[in-house]
Amino acid sequence: MPAPAASPSDAELILAVLEREDRRAFGLLVERHQSQVRTVLRRMTRGDLALADDLAQEVFVLAWRNLGKFRFEAKFSTWLYRIAFNAWQSEARKKHEVLLDSEEGSPAESLEMATEMPDVVARVDLERAMAVLSDGERAAITACFYADLSHEEAAEALGLPLGTVKTHILRARAKLKARLAKEKP
Amino acid sequence: MNDIDRVLREDARTPLPDDGFSTRVMAALPARPRLRPWLQPALVFGSAGLGSLLAIALAPAGASVLQGFADLAQLHLRTPGALSAIAFGGALLASAVVLAIESD
Repeated sequence: MPAPAASPSDAELILAVLEREDRRAFGLLVERHQSQVRTVLRRMTRGDLALADDLAQEVFVLAWRNLGKFRFEAKFSTWLYRIAFNAWQSEARKKHEVLLDSEEGSPAESLEMATEMPDVVARVDLERAMAVLSDGERAAITACFYADLSHEEAAEALGLPLGTVKTHILRARAKLKARLAKEKP
Repeated sequence: MNDIDRVLREDARTPLPDDGFSTRVMAALPARPRLRPWLQPALVFGSAGLGSLLAIALAPAGASVLQGFADLAQLHLRTPGALSAIAFGGALLASAVVLAIESD
């Protein structure tokens, strides 16, 4: 019995799109990456599912249009996340000034509270906890944990100094811990 | 690993069902822009060349690019020919810079 064909890599699919305008190949890329891109945008938009999906659709359409500019030096997913962060920032600027390097946010929880974590954290609790973060903290956490970017890559994608990203991560972790510990039954 | 890190990474790894999202994206895709690879350099250099020809044609009598290069070689920088030659070289240099930036 012949072995099942290995699924094509992202690079092979991208080449198929560039060389033959292969929509099926692009469809496979969308199916492969939709979950992570939509999750990133759901976290960035504080759980606004409709807006997150609209932005995610915009991300893939932009990727389709600009695929010729993809350089194969970074992972395709990293490139998609950069487009997603830009789309989110453009959208957020329409509504209010996004202050990614601001220290403000909801009043900081007492960091001393951040001692315990519940073993099981419901997704909805995490969504609520993420909503108390400032724009910059949420962006940094999403970039590093959901988009799996390094601190350096996150700083570049978000247009922030590396030190600011690290500070955002530290503060966001503390706030999330405190918030989730508070919600522990 | 920190507990909060684990919680975040587990949340990030939880797959979202497609729910028709991919189909909607595929239906929204426009035709991909197809610019022939030779077209952009041809347009940039063509425009620069045409501009240079017009500059030469409209330059005062006696100002030729060849004469201009000869003037430049003798460090006569302000003759009409030298200025034409500088404009010609500048246009080509600008075109090359534009193409280099675009190809990045």
